[in-house]
Amino acid sequence: MTTAPTFRLEASPAARTVLRVENLGKIYGGLVALRDVDLSVRAGTIHGLLGENGAGKSTLVGIMSGQRKPTSGTIYLDEKPLAHVDVQAMEKAGVFLVTQEPMIIDHLSAAENLMLGIWPKRRFGFVNWRKLRQDAERMLKGTGIAADARAGALDAVARRKINILRAMFSGGKVIILDEPTAALTVDDRAQLFDFMRRLKSEGVTFIFISHFNDEILEICDAVSVLRDGRYAGGSEDVGSLTSEDLSELVLGRGLVLFEREKRQFSAGAPAVILKDIRSGTLDVPSLAIRAGEIVGVTGLPGGGGKELARALFGLQRASSGTITFVDGEARTLPAHPAEAFADGIAYLSDDRRKDGSISQMSIAENISLSAEVALARGAFMNAEQERALSQRYFQSLGIKAPNSEVAVDTLSGGNQQKVCLGRVLATKPKLLMLDEPTRGIDVGVKQDVLRIVDELSRTGVSVIIISTDTDELVRAVDRVLIFHNGRIREELAGEAISRSRLRNLG
Amino acid sequence: MSDTTMTATTTKPPATSTRRSSMTGWVLHNVVWIWLIALVVIFGLFNQYFFTLFNLQNIMVQATVLGMIALAMSLPLLVAEIDLSIPANVGFSSALGAMANTDLGLPFALAALIGIGAATLIGFFNAICITKLKMVSLIQTLSMMIILQGALLALTQGRTITSLSPGYVWIGQTTLSGWPLMPIVFVLAILGMYVLLRHTVLGRSIFAVGGNQVASNSAGIRVDRVKILSYTIAGFLAGVAGYLLASWQMAITSNQGSSYLLYAIAAPIIGGVSVFGGRGSVIGVLGGVLLLTVIQVGLAIISVPSFYVGMIGGIMIFIAVAIDAVRVRYFG
Repeated sequence: MTTAPTFRLEASPAARTVLRVENLGKIYGGLVALRDVDLSVRAGTIHGLLGENGAGKSTLVGIMSGQRKPTSGTIYLDEKPLAHVDVQAMEKAGVFLVTQEPMIIDHLSAAENLMLGIWPKRRFGFVNWRKLRQDAERMLKGTGIAADARAGALDAVARRKINILRAMFSGGKVIILDEPTAALTVDDRAQLFDFMRRLKSEGVTFIFISHFNDEILEICDAVSVLRDGRYAGGSEDVGSLTSEDLSELVLGRGLVLFEREKRQFSAGAPAVILKDIRSGTLDVPSLAIRAGEIVGVTGLPGGGGKELARALFGLQRASSGTITFVDGEARTLPAHPAEAFADGIAYLSDDRRKDGSISQMSIAENISLSAEVALARGAFMNAEQERALSQRYFQSLGIKAPNSEVAVDTLSGGNQQKVCLGRVLATKPKLLMLDEPTRGIDVGVKQDVLRIVDELSRTGVSVIIISTDTDELVRAVDRVLIFHNGRIREELAGEAISRSRLRNLG
Repeated sequence: MSDTTMTATTTKPPATSTRRSSMTGWVLHNVVWIWLIALVVIFGLFNQYFFTLFNLQNIMVQATVLGMIALAMSLPLLVAEIDLSIPANVGFSSALGAMANTDLGLPFALAALIGIGAATLIGFFNAICITKLKMVSLIQTLSMMIILQGALLALTQGRTITSLSPGYVWIGQTTLSGWPLMPIVFVLAILGMYVLLRHTVLGRSIFAVGGNQVASNSAGIRVDRVKILSYTIAGFLAGVAGYLLASWQMAITSNQGSSYLLYAIAAPIIGGVSVFGGRGSVIGVLGGVLLLTVIQVGLAIISVPSFYVGMIGGIMIFIAVAIDAVRVRYFG
């Protein structure tokens, strides 16, 4: 008799709070990353966590998963306060963090990766391979992943699924997904969301970090927004919110989306002429870009946009090709980025983790890194001019940091991207190529970046933006080239650049 | 009155806590130097002789060869590689130069240049193997170490070479009103390395390449060239160390230089040079070198029985590295 009420309570899991934090604070050195955050997550829901870069999302989930220690505050699991918080304790309690970079060992199979660290054991510590395979096959059923597929050959969405399944199989009740949709195509994203919905119906609770309002609106039941390390607001009923409501919570003000004033280019001589660019499957017989023009390049991965940029920058060997600037002669393509910079060609990679900034160096050192050869007096650095240069870009790009001597690895992703942008701008390029310049950075910094590029183009710099973000292409470029199998398949300009046309690239 | 006391007590806790954390930070960042001073005091208390001018000069001389080798070792470490062959290179080039002087009868300056030149070329060769042939530096330089140790034995035929000309041993034996001349070379090397790392484009590139090789390449740094120069300069420093060693000991043994291997790796790391590259300073390396030298000399002076010297020295290095690990963990 006495158990009946308890039973009834559990029968409506939506009302039960599974994870709650109270007065949570975190201070790094002297920097306040989180301040008095209260937040509760109901069981069996997908709880969105939204905020700009540096708003404290990663810090918060780091604490929730036990990877970082809070400076103050309490974590409650099933309304019981936790005395000791570390990764083991949280995983034992069923809270798992699936990070942005999927923890996958490439040369192992999908099944082995799934059971990593939780291998079914036989006596004397031997692995029970048969059970491992059976368990893995059961878990992978309906996900479209073969148990014996080599993990290195799996696509991004399959890798993320494996991580989520591993968390579940380890006894995960609350699974935190840190930007799981980064680098996923639209189809992959839909697939991942279906997968999350299925697991939710089996009783798993998700905390879902995203930069994108539409994702939150599509999949989340509840949402919490962080701003500058504080809880800025949220809702238990996402259906009642609009995208504008979310943006306003994230930014604390009405967001003005950047819109480039599209420019008409007369038939005069172009500023940059490319001829016979060939490299692997890439084949661009001729391409001309005008001074101050922003050209968007898009297409499926491997279509040729990125390959074109890397060949022009000397990161990928080209079998033929010349580049001609308006005031010069035709030159062969540079063999190394150092030559490219000297020729006035700059490129910023989309892989910010491996190919971004030098994380232990200061902001100032990073900004002047590519320009310092041009400033140097012989072998010696020109400290004064370098400092002035760094300071100029540090301020004009609005990098959020106490000063420019701070190490880059203390900055948020969006600010690190600004540092990288500062580094290539400091070389005073005539042709600037940006590869996915706003991917994974929040909507506020994204507008900053697009605005900076727009201003730069007004000084006569020719810009190529490689992007799969249709919204960005529609709002920020003058002309779009669609690549397919290494060739320019289609060219859109002016009014012809539309979302519907760009969504359908296949 | 009571009002002011109130404010004072209420504002005090945060003030002390931040002061304490910055204090621990300062202590941990300068742990090499604090540990060094502490050991000097301890050794001095055990034996007054430790504080004498003669002993100070002795420490300076002892620190010179280790210091040159440690500086050489730091360069490959800073570009996130390693060169294990440096101490063997010291021994081999030391013997080569000395034998050019004794056996071939070449003038001492030319003979010394032959030794230093050979060491520089060996460093350059290592770099070519690592950058162009993509050999793994740990294994490539390990094999080079074995080759050079063997070459030293083949060259000396197991003999100890002693009959070095007076010119050849001048730098290691001359004193100016009691002060030995040799440490001046180390001081010059430290100044040179400081200028290289702090004020030249190459120095900045070395830190960048050690921090992130892929990003450095995209930033327009010629990564291979930076590594080749680092290894070549390291080889040069090893050659100078080999010359100084011969000049100071006035003899070449068939295992010349080998004993420096572990100390030469330990000194930069104790001084804060990261084994993962991109972090470190010349001053730190100097601290590491002095610390190790003081431990060695100090244990000898307080007449610890020689059976225990190795073990106690090892424990002291262990403590220094452990404290450094704590620093990295809490303060990056």
